[in-house]
Amino acid sequence: MSAPRAVVSGLGFVTSIGNDRASVAASLRDLRSGIESHEFIPGVDLPVKVAGTIKGFDTSAIHWAGWRWPEGCSFSREVLRGMPSHGLYALCAAEQAIGDARLTGAELTAEDTGLFCGSAGSPRLMRHYLNQLHDSHGERVSPMGVVSTIAGSLNFNLAAHFGIRGAVAGFVSACASTTQAIGYAFDEIRLGRQRRILVVGGEDLTLDSIYPFHGMRALSRNPDPARASRPFDRDRDGFVGTGGSVALVLEESESARARGAPMYAELAGWGQSGDGYNVANSDPKGRGLAAAMARALAAAGVSPGEIDYINAHATSTPAGDASEALALRSVFTLARAHPYVSSTKALTGHSLSCSGVMETAFCAIAIAQGFIPGAANLDNPDAACEGLNLPQKTVLSAPRVILKNSSGFGGSNVCLVLRRWAQ
Amino acid sequence: MITPAQAQKNVQESLSGFPPRITAAYLAFAESGDLASLDLVAMGVLQFYLARKPEKPLDEIPGSTRLVDDLGCDSLTMMDTVFLMETLFSIKLEDSELPKIITLDDLRALLRRLAGGGAAAS
Repeated sequence: MSAPRAVVSGLGFVTSIGNDRASVAASLRDLRSGIESHEFIPGVDLPVKVAGTIKGFDTSAIHWAGWRWPEGCSFSREVLRGMPSHGLYALCAAEQAIGDARLTGAELTAEDTGLFCGSAGSPRLMRHYLNQLHDSHGERVSPMGVVSTIAGSLNFNLAAHFGIRGAVAGFVSACASTTQAIGYAFDEIRLGRQRRILVVGGEDLTLDSIYPFHGMRALSRNPDPARASRPFDRDRDGFVGTGGSVALVLEESESARARGAPMYAELAGWGQSGDGYNVANSDPKGRGLAAAMARALAAAGVSPGEIDYINAHATSTPAGDASEALALRSVFTLARAHPYVSSTKALTGHSLSCSGVMETAFCAIAIAQGFIPGAANLDNPDAACEGLNLPQKTVLSAPRVILKNSSGFGGSNVCLVLRRWAQ
Repeated sequence: MITPAQAQKNVQESLSGFPPRITAAYLAFAESGDLASLDLVAMGVLQFYLARKPEKPLDEIPGSTRLVDDLGCDSLTMMDTVFLMETLFSIKLEDSELPKIITLDDLRALLRRLAGGGAAAS
């Protein structure tokens, strides 16, 4: 008996470039940016002036009761009581993905349906509650101060809300978190332990969650929203922060097919590695990421020449993009393979823990709808990119096999191989 | 009594997301000590934190409405309400006071006693 195969059968989005699949797909195809001028502290002239803003939501209030969200989300406001602000985004994204996959309540709460999440928690809410604790000399301790703030907040809240009874876990490998979550979800399905896993990433877009990256000079100080995020460009100067949430249903193929769910793409295999180099910086030669790509290709049984498109991790930082470019050259250019390469963070900004599932969902859309998002804002490719095929415009040809790269702090590298579904 | 300047600061820091009429009532109380405004703030704070929205604003329903039995107020809502009252009015609500708050009138009366200079509820 052959091992179960895993397909992407449902998608949901709350992102800077759209809050539903159709608008996200249109933004990717038209290279429409979600980045705007943004004041991290209202009225204060900080050196970082742009962000990938989330439209249609207002989570500026500390307390959930003051939040606002678009029409169409069906949850009761009561469920927000233990949530950080990205939990609100995640609820909306997860509801979309569950509806898209046509999952019934019974299937969602079955013992073979799991939930894997990735988020950094809510530094803003944590600051608020800890300040309250200190300022009151220990008298004010909010009952929800723990579950609404720490890094597992998304999986705690969503598992309880949706009544998940399969595997529930959170992943904390920073910007590789939800790519890794998808990889382990794949393993659970391949091993026959779970029939489907809802993978959800989410991040706040706040001073507390994004601005600390300025301390390591990782954020772009370019004030022009249209030019600040420019992965692989010679003049890039850092990433643009964003928040939001993306949810993806990874499911055993027969189960999805029997229900008439979409089969956006098959996850063919994955690979991961550690740089063994530095807590915050990538190996400058990209050796760890190259190893993860090679392992993913081997696991999927795919050669470099079969990859049509690579959705790069490239965040628009000088060091990180150069490292990834060298890794790509060592795996592909040396093998005389020239797949298209772009980083959609040029449009969205970098959503940290959420970026892996967000960009994997973009890849699933690209396969299903037959286009390759171009490398937006790329005017002068960095010398490190020599030999890479970086299309400045969207390519209107259908990719059959896509590689998705992610890298996180500590040198965690995770790569997924997706391909068009075929029996 | 809180000063108008303190009240302005509290509006910025603690009343984000509140309906403008509640914010205005809070500032009016800080300015003039108007007890009707204080009553409205008490109702507005509780309503803000209720998990299920009431059908009508709390200041438009009978004062005999019970917090737990009629409005579904639970301990979490009560904690949020008390913490914010303490911040807004620089008061301290003792734990022993909480079980005595059964109705909306009880809440209004407590706040008048602690923040409104001891005036009885109308």
